[in-house]
Amino acid sequence: MTSKINVDKPGSYALLNGDEATARGAIEANIKVAAAYPGTPSTEILETLAVVAKDLGIYVEWSLNEIIATEVAIGASMTGVRALTSMKHVGSNVASDAIMTLAYTGIEGGLVIVICDDPALHSSQNEQDTRYFAVHAKLPLLDAGNPQEALDMARKAYEISEKLRLPIILRLTTRVAHGKARVKLGELQRFERKAEFDKDISKWVMVPANASRQHRVLESKLLEAKNEAETSPFNIVEDNSSDIGIIGSGVGYYYARSLLDTSKISWLKLGFVHPFPSELVKTFASKVKKLIVLEELRPYIEENIARLKIDFIGKTELGLEEIGEFSPDKIRTALAKLHLTTNPEKPQQLNLPPRPPGLCPGCTHRALYYTLNMIHKSVYCDSNKCVGCGTCEYACSYNKEKVYNTSKSRIRVVRQNQIQNIAITCQVCQDPACVAACPRDALSQSPITGNIIVDKNQCNGCGWCIEACQYGALNMHPTTHKPIVCDGCGGNPRCVALCPQGALSLRGKSEDKIVAGDIGCYTLGALPPVKSLQTCLCMGGGISQAAGMIHAGVKDKVFAVIGDSTFFHGGMPGLLNIVYNQANVCVIIMDNSIVAMTGHQPTPGSGKTAMGQNAKIINIESLVRALGIEKVITVDPYDIKATTKALRTTINYEGPSVIIAKRPCPLLAPRDIPLKIKDQCRGCRVCTEVFGCPAISQTGNRAEIDATLCNGCGVCEKVCPFSAIVREEQ
Amino acid sequence: MKQKLDVVFSGVGGQGVVLLSDIFCEAAMIEDFDVAKAEIHGMAQRGGSIVAYTRIGNKVETPLIETGKADVVVGFEVLETTRTLPMLKECGTVIVNMKLIPPNSLPAGVKLKSTEELLKLLKTKARVHEVDGPGIAHRLGNMLVVNTILLGALSALPEVPLKVESFQQAIANRLKRDYISLNLKAFQLGRESVQNNRDKNEMTYITR
Repeated sequence: MTSKINVDKPGSYALLNGDEATARGAIEANIKVAAAYPGTPSTEILETLAVVAKDLGIYVEWSLNEIIATEVAIGASMTGVRALTSMKHVGSNVASDAIMTLAYTGIEGGLVIVICDDPALHSSQNEQDTRYFAVHAKLPLLDAGNPQEALDMARKAYEISEKLRLPIILRLTTRVAHGKARVKLGELQRFERKAEFDKDISKWVMVPANASRQHRVLESKLLEAKNEAETSPFNIVEDNSSDIGIIGSGVGYYYARSLLDTSKISWLKLGFVHPFPSELVKTFASKVKKLIVLEELRPYIEENIARLKIDFIGKTELGLEEIGEFSPDKIRTALAKLHLTTNPEKPQQLNLPPRPPGLCPGCTHRALYYTLNMIHKSVYCDSNKCVGCGTCEYACSYNKEKVYNTSKSRIRVVRQNQIQNIAITCQVCQDPACVAACPRDALSQSPITGNIIVDKNQCNGCGWCIEACQYGALNMHPTTHKPIVCDGCGGNPRCVALCPQGALSLRGKSEDKIVAGDIGCYTLGALPPVKSLQTCLCMGGGISQAAGMIHAGVKDKVFAVIGDSTFFHGGMPGLLNIVYNQANVCVIIMDNSIVAMTGHQPTPGSGKTAMGQNAKIINIESLVRALGIEKVITVDPYDIKATTKALRTTINYEGPSVIIAKRPCPLLAPRDIPLKIKDQCRGCRVCTEVFGCPAISQTGNRAEIDATLCNGCGVCEKVCPFSAIVREEQ
Repeated sequence: MKQKLDVVFSGVGGQGVVLLSDIFCEAAMIEDFDVAKAEIHGMAQRGGSIVAYTRIGNKVETPLIETGKADVVVGFEVLETTRTLPMLKECGTVIVNMKLIPPNSLPAGVKLKSTEELLKLLKTKARVHEVDGPGIAHRLGNMLVVNTILLGALSALPEVPLKVESFQQAIANRLKRDYISLNLKAFQLGRESVQNNRDKNEMTYITR
């Protein structure tokens, strides 16, 4: 197959994004090995290479994490062939242990480390600036401002890398990586190199004696790199004999050019930014009266110019922040301060409801979160707020029986003393006395919600359960003469919604738990309406954060949720650590056997490699057992009953435990017949606001399912308290 | 000298916003335009708002468009189309697919506006071409061709400097062979829906 990316037509054009252009640059430079871990906005680099890998004889792999990917690329480079690794900015933190010493050892075959920053955090957990990472690691850095530069820099970086015997960092930002442009393709360089390893331990074995010598070597290489930067074709001077000079890098430079009459300003575009080309900048600055610096994120160029004792106008004077990404509007506002442009138009205020990202229809994570949220919830009344108005009783009787009759209510207001009232409902006890008291086994406790279910056929209305309940939560129905008890309305009780004092809330055992999250689609479970998890720090961090809380002495049950790929990436050591140090954490591994968030890349659980070859399928359950976990339960997250049972088992279990919620990502599974809402829908909003499926919306007093969005998972059918959702008949 | 045109595509994650804006750019490249576009992948795509900025012209330096400078907005969904309205220049053109997808949860104090209210808002600033994408797609028997219908509508605008053949070529280049003829049909129906209503829509704008 010849796709546009490996077409051998130098000078022809293709519509490429920055990632694809980077991949093309690497292909033109004749790379032999590429390894990466997916991460927005860097993912498409390796994806693009993987498609053409077989045709071009390149080896491409999705590694378990960024440091492994980097080490694979380093290993390849050590044999003399050209190699690439790519990652998102936070991935470089994981890879840094390898990269920091790699600067000392140097390389054999050209090695390019592509790091994609994410200003404005479109899909990330921080806004770190890789230019400072390059300073920290003492490595040369090229900073691309558009897809064409990404291609040219990627190709040229291999030459520079081999000339300096150093790896080169190529930095992209989201707008470059995911911006598409008409890109001119270059020539496919083709040469044969045999992979051979030179066993020179003075170079490859970084014991102190060798490393201290190599540090000196690195310093001399950096001096050479500085000379490269001074004359680099990526540092472009456009001298228009103007009094005003603009130095810029990345997208900010191009925004400024599109806003100004380019012929009336002198320009310096910095692309080779570390080591800093100070002589070039000095010469440029000496020719202008007013020097303006435009750079996204941290003031790297500014600090270097300040060190040269040159006056400039930077972020402070221009009102540009270190936070977020640049936009043409921001640059226009900044340049308007210097009267170079007019101010941008003020955007209209439309006050429209936001549409934040959320879990997809049919998402397995939503089903699991629903179950986790619902374990043993009951209506709780704050007696300091309750005024005994009885609104809850009317709300309940109307919701349940369509009448305003407080004797048919499942909630009862009681006066505690002269000034305090309280409303009483079922408290979903652990071992309910009412169930034990029933002589006819008519009462049972729902394994899902913990609510008490009365079998009306078995019950003869003896009332023993009412006597047995220490809270007085059961009542006799005035007409049927069978006990009635609160069922929590499936998680959205009308009494709580309508309480004028805000005294009622839905709480319960679930309030006594902490859920540490991790990085992936499932992080979206922190947002409303799901609101299941409370932390998200770094890849694999949740398990150990949870352990830290336990060791600090929190009383709540602590869960950690983690996806399968994140578990392989950084969760395995954390899990072994809680076994070794005995932390009573229940780890829920959400196994969809794919990296869903970044666009479905394979994992060791998928049975496929990046190049589409079959691989051994790693069984997470055996892996977890091998790591020393004794309590392991595998469930289907769509099966709410089984999942609840598993959660309750682990809540009562002392010691580390694992639940594996295993089901493929619904985006990859075949769609089932969509569901529909029946007439008995009461508009209770459980499906829209508690379960929160985006395929269901509410108009007036009735829910509606959008058949084009519904993927037919059928979980809502189990969630609806009025059995009003059914699968549509064909 | 090529005519400059800035188009904003907006919709909900999963509707095909990115693919459609790609096809538009490829059509422009067939006619030797320089193009640049910006979009976001990853987390934001999970059912959230999606915007793709596309710019074509003689030489395009950057993909992002300034507030109030876009020539055309192509909206896949009524609420998202309205959200992009500040990007549009005064008296710009909007192509809107007549489908409203309510957001999953509304923050306190924000009310969901109806389709009519949103359209009214759009018409305060723009010439609006309402395209019954779901209806046309239903007639064609495939709900997934809505985006091609919108591309057809875009191709019929007088301000778009591209030949219809370039659009058809770009569709053929980009899609799987089995779907090309269906999509070309959808493209034509979308094109006609604007051509037939152009006069009517011009009138609504003037008499707002």
